[in-house]
Amino acid sequence: MPLVSIIMPQLGESIAEARIIQFLVKPGDQVEAEQDLIEVETDKATMTVASPCKGKIEFFSAQLEESYPVGATLGKIDATKEEATRLGFDVTESKKLSGTEPHSRSESNGQKSRVEPTIRGLPVPANAAGASYLSPRLKARMDELGLHAADLAGVAGSGAAGRLTIQDFEKYISSLEKHKLSGASSMRVAVADAMRRSWTRPLATVGLPIVLDAVLVHRKTCEPKPGPALYALRALAIALSENSAPAGRLVGSKIVHPSAIDVGFAVEAEDGVLVPVLRGADKKPLKELVTRYNELVELARQRKLPPDATGGSVATVTNFGTFGLIWATPIPLPEQTLVLGMGAGRKMPHWDDAKGQFVPVTEANLTLSFDHRVLDGGAAGRLLQRIGQLIQQPEKL
Amino acid sequence: MSLTYLDAIREAQAHALRDDPRVFIYGQDVGAFGGAFKATKNLANDYPGRVIDAPISEDAIVGLAVGAAIEGLRPIIEMQFADFSSVAFNQIVNQAATLFWRTNVPCPITVRLPFGGTSGGGPFHSQTPEAIYAHYPGLVVLTPATVEDAYSMLLEAVAIDDPVIFCEHKFLYRHLKAEKLPTEALPVGKARIAREGRDLTVVAYSAMVHDALEAAAELSVEGWEIEVVDLRSVKPLDTDTVVASVARTGKLLAVGEAWPWGGVTAEVIARVVSEGFGLLDAPPQRLNAKDTPVPFHPNLWAAHRPTVRAIAAAARKILRY
Amino acid sequence: MLQTVSEPHTEQKETRRDGHLAAYRFMLRARLLDDKLAALYRAGKIHGGVFLGRGQEALSAAIGVSLTKGDVFAPLIRDAAGRLAFGENILDSVRTYLGSATGPMRGRDGNVHRGNPREGLLPMISHLGAMVSVVNGILFARRMKKISGTVGVACLGEGATSTGAFHEALNQAAVEKLPLVLVVADNQYAYSTPTSRQFACEELTDKSAGYGVAAHAVDGTDLTACLKVVGEAVAAARAGNGPQLVIAKLLRLCGHGEHDPDGDVTQSKQGYIDPKLKKSPLGRDCLKLAEEILLKEKFADATRLAVWRNETLHEIEEVVAQVQREPTPDPFVEKWVAISSGHLTEGRHE
Repeated sequence: MPLVSIIMPQLGESIAEARIIQFLVKPGDQVEAEQDLIEVETDKATMTVASPCKGKIEFFSAQLEESYPVGATLGKIDATKEEATRLGFDVTESKKLSGTEPHSRSESNGQKSRVEPTIRGLPVPANAAGASYLSPRLKARMDELGLHAADLAGVAGSGAAGRLTIQDFEKYISSLEKHKLSGASSMRVAVADAMRRSWTRPLATVGLPIVLDAVLVHRKTCEPKPGPALYALRALAIALSENSAPAGRLVGSKIVHPSAIDVGFAVEAEDGVLVPVLRGADKKPLKELVTRYNELVELARQRKLPPDATGGSVATVTNFGTFGLIWATPIPLPEQTLVLGMGAGRKMPHWDDAKGQFVPVTEANLTLSFDHRVLDGGAAGRLLQRIGQLIQQPEKL
Repeated sequence: MSLTYLDAIREAQAHALRDDPRVFIYGQDVGAFGGAFKATKNLANDYPGRVIDAPISEDAIVGLAVGAAIEGLRPIIEMQFADFSSVAFNQIVNQAATLFWRTNVPCPITVRLPFGGTSGGGPFHSQTPEAIYAHYPGLVVLTPATVEDAYSMLLEAVAIDDPVIFCEHKFLYRHLKAEKLPTEALPVGKARIAREGRDLTVVAYSAMVHDALEAAAELSVEGWEIEVVDLRSVKPLDTDTVVASVARTGKLLAVGEAWPWGGVTAEVIARVVSEGFGLLDAPPQRLNAKDTPVPFHPNLWAAHRPTVRAIAAAARKILRY
Repeated sequence: MLQTVSEPHTEQKETRRDGHLAAYRFMLRARLLDDKLAALYRAGKIHGGVFLGRGQEALSAAIGVSLTKGDVFAPLIRDAAGRLAFGENILDSVRTYLGSATGPMRGRDGNVHRGNPREGLLPMISHLGAMVSVVNGILFARRMKKISGTVGVACLGEGATSTGAFHEALNQAAVEKLPLVLVVADNQYAYSTPTSRQFACEELTDKSAGYGVAAHAVDGTDLTACLKVVGEAVAAARAGNGPQLVIAKLLRLCGHGEHDPDGDVTQSKQGYIDPKLKKSPLGRDCLKLAEEILLKEKFADATRLAVWRNETLHEIEEVVAQVQREPTPDPFVEKWVAISSGHLTEGRHE
């Protein structure tokens, strides 16, 4: 009579394997279809393996406390032929053939040396990455709609190993119709793509509080008034001209150094951010950059930046303090290693040793987000320190 | 009045003899005896001199047909069993199939092969060699699955100016019945959607179409709707219809009674993967007979070939992917 | 294109003379063409194999001369003379060998695999014995169409009499009582295999009784004998006496192919052919013998023969020069389709 395999079932989304913790029946026991046979433990819960059919437990090949992947054979049930064929199961003939074979059951118990495939049927990508498996059809549809795997992160899959089936996908897409949808501008889509690509790198941030009082005083003496970000920009440019390696790009095993210290600065435009660039920012003192800086800001706001005014910068500065924010971890442009952020200034007590008391100062945080493949915390910290030093001596910028 | 698949084949031959004086039938026992399966019953009587008994010489039988075709006649050759066509293999693939390509003279012969398994048939009365003939350039290979197609496709086969290998399933001879002969038909080269579905495309041909339909009925109870495509002709193979079906369902199971290596199922999958890769939501699968000669004992025979159960089980695996 | 040969009703002596002269001229042309093809082969100008009919021209020409327009002829690899006699244009032979795109096979098949089925000249396939049943089919169809008087000749070597195809076809022709003449050129060797390894009966003519057909034996080197015996066999078939088996004994005076010098008795180096055979009557050159017959019977004189030889050499040179200037097949222009029904082709799946 045919032996039906007891197979480790699909236990849940992205569950790849489970550990045997208890056998609920033993070889020789008669069982019903769907009866619980084995208790298993996954990293989420304790579950049971049910019998595929009615019959007698022939043997268990699985061992207590051992882990087996989804699809592995855990044992065999001696089922009637009707049962087995009714279910269309994969059967192996038992050694007993209508009484002509003299083999006893205990002999077939010892038949464990034969290599059994652990995954039957279709190659299900049954590992933790199962949920991200995209079938060719899914990929084609995603291409058609301009979607990326990241766009589907929140969608649960009902397919094998938790994969997203094409039906899950189409249901999701049509369910979006029920919500208020507004068109994403091409700017938005472009920024989304840039941020997604930037995020593929390991990014980290270091921060440093600086005293802004000197800058504030210096600013009052200038006409026209330089934006606060320009001070940070000049400081960054000088620091990079002293050592350009932190702004380098890692290509394979080489660091590609910047050839010119062109620094960009973020300007909020409708529905996005533009990054105009001051070319050779290390070569001109602050006063000589102000007019051009203000020009670029205005052009950016009106979205009239000429093509040569953007692109090709080696680092970016962003003034998140304009929103009153004191802390932010900006994301560098995908083609850059660094982004320097400046937060809002606010009155903070600083300890004055000489006076032996707290004195009020205007403090702001500088944050430097960086591609951790190129810089470690130490190099980033040193760069930020130097920038802080330079900013706090604005007359030298 | 109902007629069987065999009746349809006999009627088609009768109509071919009646309507075209160039047609004649040649094969073993086709004359007074009416053929081993009675596919030519009474035809020798009704058309004297045009239904001729041949000696047991499959090679010479096909060679004679080629000569007659060069002379402008349209011979229908009956092989007693598809399995014996191997003796005529040289004349079919090297003589008939190359004549037009080498000389520009068409070769309008029709070779009827009673093919496919029946219980107890054994290794030499059950073969399905359609893939071998499809492989050689110069041949048209047809596999009708219905009574209507057996009739209309045989008529069209005789009218086609090229050598046609007409595979008639001998199990269907008496088991398949229809009310009447068709008045119109899909042309040779077009596949038929035997059952519309949504969740899986099952491509089959000849007798397997009926097994696939039964499996589809079983799965329908479980909530799955299977689309069944009847290829009708193996060469030319209607890739467009198959790909369009996979575009609807995203999943493919190709089923064939023949052996796995290089069979029709392999050809179907190769085409769908190369032309419709972006339509597949699951790896395409196929179901074939086991890679051994066709066994004699009914127990073994039943397990050798795809059955309704096996088709349903294979379908479930893909459906759950 | 097809020659009208002498009708059988004319005066016998004239028939005999005309028959000899016509046959000789085809033999001469075939021999000189073979020589030219051999030279081209050695010069590397031919793709694939070259198969000559040297030594078998008398038998082959006798066949062509004995057939009339409307008959069917399935020659084999050493039947250049017979083909010419049946009406094949010499251009067809040279074009096929030199791979001209305008040849009858258009480059799709080559060397001796050429013909014109609608004119009754069947292009052989390589499988020996396979053409006989095709000839049967044409004869069978003619009968069905109530066309009488056709004769079909299929040529074989003695090696092909071992094939199943030969057996099935001869048996079929006998059962159907078709007007088939099977001419077997028993040249003692099938490639390198002597007759002792090919069949066990004493004489090939012994087989005829087994099939229930008539047999004729003939000295294949003797043009007069060939004309007589082949003529009789063709007449017997045409008269409705069923298949005729003609067994002609001769010797191949060339290798199996030009790539087989060891099989060429005309080479000075001893190859695998039994030297006794060359020295025996079987080893006589039928072309030289035919010239002797013409001179002896005063059908032609030496001057005539010389003139014919020169004319033929000249003709062949011109034909070869012409064909060498013709285009070869262009794979980009070629229609890569093997069936005539355009609506059933599948080209896009390569």
